Amino acid sequence: MEAATVQAPGGAVGNGDPEKKGLSTKAKFFIGLGIYLAAAILLLLIFGNNGKNEAFKPQNEFKLEPWVSLHLAGIDLSLNKAVLYLFLASALTIATMTWIAKRMVEKPNRVQTAVEVSYDLTKNTITGGSLQGELARKWFPFIAALFFWIWFSNMLGFLPLPTNTEHTFAIGGLEIPSFAIYAATANIAIPLVLTLVVWLSYHVEGIRSQGIGPYFKSWLPPGLEDMHPVGKAAIFVIEVISHFVRLISLSVRLFANILAGHLLLLFMGGGLAVLLGIAALGALTFPLAFAFFIFEVGLVATLQAFIFATLSAIYIGGATSASH
Amino acid sequence: MELLGYIGLLPLAAESGGEESGGSFLVSPGLGLMIWTLVLFLITMWVLSKVAFPKIQEALDKRAKTIAESIDAAERQRKESDELLAEYRARLAEAREQADDIMARARKSAETAEAEAAAAGKEKREELVSAAKRDIEAETRRSLDQIRQEVADLTVLATERVTRKSLNAEDQKRLVEEALGEVDFSTLSGSEKS
Repeated sequence: MEAATVQAPGGAVGNGDPEKKGLSTKAKFFIGLGIYLAAAILLLLIFGNNGKNEAFKPQNEFKLEPWVSLHLAGIDLSLNKAVLYLFLASALTIATMTWIAKRMVEKPNRVQTAVEVSYDLTKNTITGGSLQGELARKWFPFIAALFFWIWFSNMLGFLPLPTNTEHTFAIGGLEIPSFAIYAATANIAIPLVLTLVVWLSYHVEGIRSQGIGPYFKSWLPPGLEDMHPVGKAAIFVIEVISHFVRLISLSVRLFANILAGHLLLLFMGGGLAVLLGIAALGALTFPLAFAFFIFEVGLVATLQAFIFATLSAIYIGGATSASH
Repeated sequence: MELLGYIGLLPLAAESGGEESGGSFLVSPGLGLMIWTLVLFLITMWVLSKVAFPKIQEALDKRAKTIAESIDAAERQRKESDELLAEYRARLAEAREQADDIMARARKSAETAEAEAAAAGKEKREELVSAAKRDIEAETRRSLDQIRQEVADLTVLATERVTRKSLNAEDQKRLVEEALGEVDFSTLSGSEKS
């Protein structure tokens, strides 16, 4: 990115040095990097270090302040930022999918093509990869809904919305919450409950298709028929643990990826400079924020939705097939 | 649910110590939020499975069917056009053959007609030439006879003038034959001599 700044023809030609004309991409990159670092150091020398900022708590970006307090039977159902994002994600998923579904035409436009491709992905790659026949038909809506819902939720997380009620700004005397990015999937509760649904679903489906005894027997890997019962029991215990670990691995994978992405954007976008009190650092990290933003939107958001849905399909497929 | 909450807390439980602004809230799942998630996800799934997915599937199936039909139709049409092309080619070859045949025949008949015309012309010409020859010969013979008569008469007349007497028939005949014997007629009918 920075290499582009030294690509200006004036510098190379004006110098008249034949060696400068044939600058390799590598050389350009390092010159760009040097200028970039020099600028940052210059800025550091000019503005100096204000000392560590103790008041700034970056994690509070993810803190949920109850906007409307709501308690039912001792359960805190207060409306907050996460609930808003859940509503938005659900509404966006339903609206987009039904809108496209209702106006499906023979010759699709780009949006319809994108929806068709993702529908095909959920149907043939994610569901079809692990489940066949009746099972695939039965579980496809659940797995596809997981994919689309998580995807919309993740993508929504990169759209700045006026949701930061901790910091407000005024337009014509109206207090407006600051624009901030937040993702519902960056809150552990949301991936966890989805994981619980998947977890219970695959056990129920496994027991339903194999029967309770054979299902738990199928947890033992094949090839242990001659093993001592104690050894078998030990392995069974490990398998039981592995099933419980899935609760954590599936939920934390999604949660941690999205949270880490948002934290990265927060730090690179200026949070780190504020936290450390080094303004010059902002110049160094800000371009990285763009790179991470593209990385998160272009890859992580879709990839995590894909992984969550794929693993769900694999778990259900594994539970319903006799050989583990 | 208590257990699950505890599981969620595990990764950062050691360092957080439950301080609100420390960040432990990041990994403590709220039951209310979980219920919201469950409700909203189930609603989304229900709507998608009832409204969106069947329609998308239907449209995709329809398109797949259309594509399959189009491919079949294209295949059929290609076959038909291949057949048509083969037929046209065969017909074209046949037509060319016929044309060649017609040309050959026409050429042949033209040659025959030419030869016939040439033969007829020759015959006619020969006929005309021989007729002309005959006419000339007849005319020549007539002229010779006439000359002979004239010569005879003149001979008789001259003899009478010379001898002052008239000649009888016998004398006349003798005289004429003598005179004629002296005249060379061959010079008059040169064509015959040659």
